[in-house]
Amino acid sequence: MPEPILRISAAEIGFEKQEPLLEEVELELRPGEIVGIIGRSGIGKTTLLRTIAGLIPALSGTVEAPVAKGEIGYIPQRLGLITHQSVGYNVIMGALPRAPLWQTIISMPGGELRESAREAIQAVGLSDKVLDPISQLSGGQQRRVAIARSMVQQPRLLLADECLGELDAETAKEIIDLIQSLAAERNIGILIVDHNPVRARTFCDRVLQVRGTRLEEVER
Amino acid sequence: MSIIQLLKKRPRILIYAGILLLALLIATRLGINLHNLQRAWENAGVLWAEMFPPDFSVITERAQWTQSECTWSADWACSPAVHGLTETAQIAFLATVGGMLLSLPLSMMAAHNLSPLWLSTLTRQFLAGLRVLPSLVWALIFVILFGPGPLAGVMAMTLYTIGYLGKLQYEALEGVSRHPLEAARAMGLPRWQVARYFALPEASNALLSQMLFMFEYNIRHGSIIGLVGAGGIGWYLSNYLGTFARYDRAFAMIIVIYIAVVIIDQISLALRHRFMDSEVHAPRARWREIIPFIARR
Repeated sequence: MPEPILRISAAEIGFEKQEPLLEEVELELRPGEIVGIIGRSGIGKTTLLRTIAGLIPALSGTVEAPVAKGEIGYIPQRLGLITHQSVGYNVIMGALPRAPLWQTIISMPGGELRESAREAIQAVGLSDKVLDPISQLSGGQQRRVAIARSMVQQPRLLLADECLGELDAETAKEIIDLIQSLAAERNIGILIVDHNPVRARTFCDRVLQVRGTRLEEVER
Repeated sequence: MSIIQLLKKRPRILIYAGILLLALLIATRLGINLHNLQRAWENAGVLWAEMFPPDFSVITERAQWTQSECTWSADWACSPAVHGLTETAQIAFLATVGGMLLSLPLSMMAAHNLSPLWLSTLTRQFLAGLRVLPSLVWALIFVILFGPGPLAGVMAMTLYTIGYLGKLQYEALEGVSRHPLEAARAMGLPRWQVARYFALPEASNALLSQMLFMFEYNIRHGSIIGLVGAGGIGWYLSNYLGTFARYDRAFAMIIVIYIAVVIIDQISLALRHRFMDSEVHAPRARWREIIPFIARR
C-alpha cells in the first residue's frame, strides 16, 4: 500500500482555540484515492481544506502532507481563477511552481510547460476557448479551467472545494469524469468537498461527513 | 408664535445660528470685512478692463522666450499656449509613466494581502511621506535643486505620482478576491509571484483606470507647477500675470487651459469607461498578453 500523502491526526481545526469548528480530526489520504467530505454549510469543511492547504494553521494536532513544495493543488469554492484573464493564462499559471526562476521573471514559460498547458486545455475540451476571458465562460467551463490548471501543476494532493456546486447533472458528470481521470491516470490523491451526499457516494472511494464538530466516515 | 416657542419646536435653529456666529467671529479675526470686499470689487473692475478682450495671439504668434527649445517652423506650434501645453502634457506623460513604474512594486509591497505586516506598514509610511507635500512644493524644491525648467517639473510630478498612485494601487490590490491568491499560495508560490501573476492581472482594470486618471490629474497640476518655474504652460501664465502684467494674454491662456482640461477630462473618462467593471460586464484587461503561447494560440 502506498504511503499516505496526507496525514491528519488528533487535529483541531478552526479560528479560535476556545471554539474549534472541528475536533479530533483523523484522516489519511493515499495517492489515487478520492475522498469526499459532506456536511451542511458553515460547519468547517472549507476551513479544513484551507488548513490542509497551509493557508491557516491547525489549532492543535498534526496536519502534514509529505509532498514537495508546489505539489498541493487547491481549487477554492469560487475556483480562484483570474477572471479578467484568458483561459490560456489561467491554465499556464499552474506551471509556475515547476517553472525555472528565470522563466517566471521574464514571463516566458518554456516549450515543455506550454505544451503541458496545451494538452491540459485539450483534455478538458476547451481548445477553442484558449483566448476567451474567464468572465465569458459558463460555470461548467470555468470549473474545467480550474481542473486544467491543476493538471498542469501536476500536484500529488488536490483539494477541491465545492467544485461541483451549482452545476446541472450532465455538466457535473463531466467534471466528475475529469476528477476521476486525475486520480486514476495521474495518481493524484483528491480531497473533495461536495454538498450533495448522494452524488459524493457515487464517485468517491470514501466519504466523510461532518457531524457537529466531528469528522466521521460514512458507511457505504 | 414667540421666538422661545419656535426654538423649542425647532432646536436646530440654535445650532445653525451658532455656526453662523462662529463664522462671523472667525471672519472678523481674519480681517475679512465689507470694506475689503468692496475694495476687491473695485480691483476686479480694473482687472477685468485689463483682461478683456483676451489676446489670442498667444495661440498664433511664436513665443519670444521659451524654457525648452521649440524647433517647429509653424509659428502657432511654437506659440506660448501650444508650446506650453505640449510641454505640460510631456511632463505629465513622463511623470505618469515613471510614477506608475515605480509605484507598482511599492503598492504590491504596501498591500496587506500580499506582504508581511512590517513591510506593508513601512511602505505605506513611505508613500504617505511622498504625499505630505503637494506637487507644487515638490516643484519648488526641485527648481532649487535642478534650476527652473521641465526637469524640475518631471521630478516633482513623478514623486507626487508615486505617493498618490501608490495609495490608489494598493487599495485596488487589497480589493482583489482572496480566492485566486489562496489558490496561488496553496501551490507554494513565493509572495512576488502571487502578486505579479495573480493579484496584478486581477486588479489590472482598476490599475489602468487609475493610471489614466493620474495622467489627467498630472496635466491639470502641470499647469500649476509652472507657476514656480517648473516648466509647462503655467510658466507662461505666471510671466503674463507677474513680470509682464499682460492680463489679456493671461486670460487667453486660462481659456486655453480650461478648454484643454475639459477635452482631456472627456477623453480620459471615455477611456476609463472601457476598463470599468459592472455587474453585467467584466471587460477584458488590456494588459499585454504576457505569455507568447497564448498570443499565438
